[in-house]
Amino acid sequence: MTAVLPWVTLVVCLAITLARIPSALRGENRDVFYIFSLITLSIFISIEAPYLVIDGWLGGMNIGNLVLRFLLYATFYFMGVKIAMAFGSESAVRAIRGPIGITAAVLVGALTIYFFAITDTRGSSAGMSGLTWGPSLDGYAAMGRLYPGFVAACLVPAIWRTVASTAPVLLRVASGFLLLGLCLLLLSQFFPLIPFSEAWLRVLINYSAAMSTCIGLAGIWFSKTYARRKRRLLA
Amino acid sequence: MPLQSKAFQRWLHGVAPDASTADVCRIAGIKRTTLAQQLVRGKVAESTLVSISRGFHINPVQALSTFDLYSDLRGDPVPPTPCELVSQVATIDLLRAVVERSEPGSAPAPHLSEPPHPTSVRNWVDAIDDGELRHRVSVATGIAPQNFSAHLTANRLPPELAVATSRAAGVGPAGGLVAGGLITEAEAGWPPDARRKALDAMTQSSLVTLAGDRLLALGKTLRRQEQDHERTERIWENLG
Repeated sequence: MTAVLPWVTLVVCLAITLARIPSALRGENRDVFYIFSLITLSIFISIEAPYLVIDGWLGGMNIGNLVLRFLLYATFYFMGVKIAMAFGSESAVRAIRGPIGITAAVLVGALTIYFFAITDTRGSSAGMSGLTWGPSLDGYAAMGRLYPGFVAACLVPAIWRTVASTAPVLLRVASGFLLLGLCLLLLSQFFPLIPFSEAWLRVLINYSAAMSTCIGLAGIWFSKTYARRKRRLLA
Repeated sequence: MPLQSKAFQRWLHGVAPDASTADVCRIAGIKRTTLAQQLVRGKVAESTLVSISRGFHINPVQALSTFDLYSDLRGDPVPPTPCELVSQVATIDLLRAVVERSEPGSAPAPHLSEPPHPTSVRNWVDAIDDGELRHRVSVATGIAPQNFSAHLTANRLPPELAVATSRAAGVGPAGGLVAGGLITEAEAGWPPDARRKALDAMTQSSLVTLAGDRLLALGKTLRRQEQDHERTERIWENLG
């Protein structure tokens, strides 16, 4: 199942991204389209087959993984700011875009490059799982989880308030999916506790998080369309 | 908890021994699937019983009283208190009454709209509350205070809870059923002009104070709705 999950996630994300093209062309909320594109691209690169090809172009020393990390950081920065604004959390916007958030992003980015540089990364392998793991790779992987976790932690309270509010049911369900995705990212901070033999669990959590987040974001869009249509029919 | 379907079927057999289920549903104006579903689940909603009673020209309160759960409703109807009556006057009618009193003769007293109105349940509970009522209801029925509050905010009152609340407040057992919209005031045995008389009997000061309280509560509700609406719109604007 964990072999299929990444592809299923990719298909779902790609479908949502394609579905947003018409509205993006009309100029409605292009940011959301860019966010979906970034997520889709990240997932595409993270899957073994495309990863090996892309990393091959980049010299076969897992620079592809480094690119993927920074792609994810960018995705989470933009997505975090957008979601924080949407859910009306001034403090979350400040935390992500303000001095603390920028410092965190720069620090994580710098440490990511540092850990990558001091590791022998020769030999393409998706998730760098084929390399010999030492403290430096552990640090590298931890950085990759830390920033998304930080953004998720900033967003959880505001989204929870909406889930528990009296907003339209569809919107609350969609927000629930988004919340689930972000909580899985928080959970992923505990990956070092998962034994190596249970690696499938990490795959499951990572891709479920991505899938759930995408479904949540798409669900919010759907709930809006649905509400507008219903209002038009009633009018 | 709604009515046991066994007891319900016994009652239905007594009311309409020869009618088929289809006939009953047609006469009562309820969906066959709804009734079938409730019977299968073993629990029939009180509103179903009320619809059927109306269809067969039986007083719904009397019909309900044949069930042990609603034995409080047996006997002659207890007249409502003036406070209960006024609580079932819609806010807009209350405001009209204020205008009438302030400018007598400006317009003939209009007909009061039938209960329930949008804040019937909360107004009714407030009208019979001596300050300890919610506590007593929660002890008697085991309902958590915050769940009771949620019912008031949503302007709904499950019939069983309505009767329990009446009992705890020591008022007539049918008042809560009127406020909750299950039965009409006539079915509860309230005289047709009782609410108007209770309203006219109020002093101007208490009328104006009550109208003020209602407006204050309405303002709070509207503000909350507007804020919720704004929050939803902001999410859609940013992510939709």
